Amino acid sequence: MSQFSTVQVPKTETIAIQVTAPNQVKLAGTITQKDPANDLAGFFKALHTAALADKLAEVRADVSGLTFVNSSAIRLFVDWATWVKNERGHRYTLRFVTSRNVTWQKTSFMALMSLAKEVLALEHVT
Amino acid sequence: METAENFPIPKKLAPYPLVFMRFRPAWAYIDGIREFGRFFCQTTFGTQELADRACVVLQETLENAVKYSSNSADSELELSIESDGSNIEFSVSSLPDASHLSSLREELNGIQTLDPEQAYLAAFIRASNEPESSARLGLARIRYEGGVELSMKEETGGRIRITATGKL
Repeated sequence: MSQFSTVQVPKTETIAIQVTAPNQVKLAGTITQKDPANDLAGFFKALHTAALADKLAEVRADVSGLTFVNSSAIRLFVDWATWVKNERGHRYTLRFVTSRNVTWQKTSFMALMSLAKEVLALEHVT
Repeated sequence: METAENFPIPKKLAPYPLVFMRFRPAWAYIDGIREFGRFFCQTTFGTQELADRACVVLQETLENAVKYSSNSADSELELSIESDGSNIEFSVSSLPDASHLSSLREELNGIQTLDPEQAYLAAFIRASNEPESSARLGLARIRYEGGVELSMKEETGGRIRITATGKL
């Protein structure tokens, strides 16, 4: 049974989150809480752990519907990319699906790519 | 979309004040003020690109100001948006805890030694290497994504003013 698809989704007021088997998570809305790690750090870590347990080749994180986030939220994506990059055993490709029309996604995911290009992939949608 | 083109910014009065707000340093206000800034820039200047840049500048400068404001009665924030018709200037005045001043000064000086893109990348690398530390991506993000240069002025009574200036 897929561990990825059974990861508990946090309840937040401003973000809609959907996890779909075998390897997709979709986030939409805005993340501007003072400390978004309270809601999301554990969730991203659980997805990462589940992806390793399921031996997934790729995790598809669709953030194209995240219209605005603060830098504390961007930090959470940096952390996720770093976990994958630092994994010594099996590791997967973390594919971010981003929107060409959302400015923060263009700038921040390009920067993230240069940090961990060996484990990241970017896919652009309109 | 209807713009404010019937009310042009007088170029003789540079920089021309467009917005001034004064409010308590509460996190709950930031979303509303950011979205007002988006609406205001879109409506006044008619460009989505500037509206998006304004959002980043307002979100990150106000977050910093709120996070580090002192608890005293005169710690209200002041936000102004001005333009001379060629440039736009966002300015946030706050009364921070004295302990925050030196780290803010150091952070600002640090990012200004690099071009905006390099400084943003460097902030990502630092965040990646220091997973237990706070993000500290905000100021570099303002410069790169907001397309502005940042300056800090220390004012009387312990207040500071962070100003972000960029092309329209």
